[in-house]
Amino acid sequence: MSATDQSTLPQHLQKKTSNIQKSSKVVQALAIDIFLWAYTCLVSYKIIYQKLIANVRHADFAWSQPLTAIGVGAVISLVLFMTKLSIGRASKGLYDLDENESILKQPFMFFGYFVIIITFIAGINVAQVSLREFFSEAGLMGAKRIFTALLQPNFQIIEPALFAAIETIYMAFIATTISLPFAFLLGFFAARNLMSNSPITFAIYNLIRFFLNVSRSIEPLVWAIIFSVWVGIGPFAGMLALCLHSVSSLAKLYSEQIENISDGPIEAMTATGAHPIQVIWFGVVPQIVLPYLSFTIYRWDINVRMATIIGLVGGGGIGTMLMQYQGLAKWNEVGLLVIVIALIVWIMDYSSSKIRASIK
Amino acid sequence: MATNILEVKDLQKVYPNGTHALRGVSFDVTEGEFLVVIGLSGSGKSTLLRCINRLHDPSSGSVKFNKDEITTIKGQPLRNVRSKIGMIFQHFNLIPRKTVMTNVLTGTLSKTGVFKSIFGIYSEEDKKKAQELIELVGLSGKERHRADNLSGGQQQRVAIARALMQNPKMLLADEPVASLDPATSHSVMQYLKKVNEELGVTILCNLHFLSLVRQYATRVIALKGGELIYEGSPKEIDENWFKTIYGEEAVEVTID
Repeated sequence: MSATDQSTLPQHLQKKTSNIQKSSKVVQALAIDIFLWAYTCLVSYKIIYQKLIANVRHADFAWSQPLTAIGVGAVISLVLFMTKLSIGRASKGLYDLDENESILKQPFMFFGYFVIIITFIAGINVAQVSLREFFSEAGLMGAKRIFTALLQPNFQIIEPALFAAIETIYMAFIATTISLPFAFLLGFFAARNLMSNSPITFAIYNLIRFFLNVSRSIEPLVWAIIFSVWVGIGPFAGMLALCLHSVSSLAKLYSEQIENISDGPIEAMTATGAHPIQVIWFGVVPQIVLPYLSFTIYRWDINVRMATIIGLVGGGGIGTMLMQYQGLAKWNEVGLLVIVIALIVWIMDYSSSKIRASIK
Repeated sequence: MATNILEVKDLQKVYPNGTHALRGVSFDVTEGEFLVVIGLSGSGKSTLLRCINRLHDPSSGSVKFNKDEITTIKGQPLRNVRSKIGMIFQHFNLIPRKTVMTNVLTGTLSKTGVFKSIFGIYSEEDKKKAQELIELVGLSGKERHRADNLSGGQQQRVAIARALMQNPKMLLADEPVASLDPATSHSVMQYLKKVNEELGVTILCNLHFLSLVRQYATRVIALKGGELIYEGSPKEIDENWFKTIYGEEAVEVTID
């Protein structure tokens, strides 16, 4: 590949595009500043002033308040935009900074520190952090009651607990195995290097990527709720939820693995006159088998943990059992279940990391 | 007068990123030749080789192999042509984690059915031939070794055996010794020479070192900035030609 003239754009056009880029950066920087100042004004007024200083019990909310804050923020940021206090300009790289000077000591960082501090104060207020309640007499009594019960687990229910645990492990295993072939196939279609050759395959790639991202961003817990309405409460609903999530995350991991392989063997196989399927089988597959195995075992491990949580919303297994005893406030039984869950998670975690280390 | 096995005419290649790698290259290759392509890195040597077996598609111009136009063919006809042209690479491009035997057998993929090859079913004839080729490149006893555990020179010899497994009429070699030490380089070049002389396979080879070129090539072409600037015998490359091809600043380094 020769190093010939890379940019074919005439010079005045290049200048124009760089001007457009610069002004779009300035607009973005201003938007960041306005947001930060509006946020500062709103938080200072609603939480620092109303709650902490004026001690208003039931502060009224009106849409005029955030709108005013934006207005005030816009004015402040316009005034301060050209000074060294603009975080927006800093984050868009519009300052000429001395590389030797620490960025932590720049003026705009002090505005940044201020924003972090008021967020922290507001956060403590919003999360209702209260040391008084943490150490209150009634609270400590409750804690004592639950801890004594948890520390005296009821071994009477060990049999059903173990059965439920086995149900959870199997559910996770089946969810992993069923999702495997789907993820395997989708992995190829979601790999950029295999799909970017023609516009059609690239469109398929984008479509599949989109669906994978959407289904992955919805928590398995939410899928479990949906499926428990669909197929009824029980392990099947939980398994479906895990399946769906496993397919999308495994396919993502698989496709990233395919994107990282070396092109050499693919080129060599193509050069022998091999059929495209043979090229993938000999040029791609040998490079991905072990990482795939490792990802899959790790996924089973994750699925066992998730299966426990999913059980809490009716996905069956030990999670559902835990939920039932917790609802009845039977803390001794809950104590036993917690021990069983901890044991499973520990064993799965330990063995999966051992297996994965040995196939590296 | 020997016949032309390959005819390249006015070959142009522009990559999607705008790089103009080949600017109208024309040359013929006669059967049985050991033709070496020289030129700086980025002069278009690799692109030229990859346009011949269509790993890259030429932008314009024509490539004729055995008098057949192959510039735009697709699918099965293209795979047939590729099966007659072996190729070896700078980084060997063997299949990792597979044995030497399996790697050599991949040379027969084009005539083995898709399902048979996936299940690893090769004919006895092919296995015997693979065995013979492994012996030919001096690796007998290594058949069951993993290819990626061999040394660089040994890996390149496996690659040669794999290419020969195709029964090629022509062998493309893209910088076959660029990642090897001098002694190993000569050994690999010797094997290529043997393939050329004893099996009568035409060789088209990219090289960096002029000393290797003088020793092994029967004819040389030189590329500069995607254009063919020299065509002739390796002995005729004197100081002036050297400076034209590699630039005024260049000093020749030898490999012994």
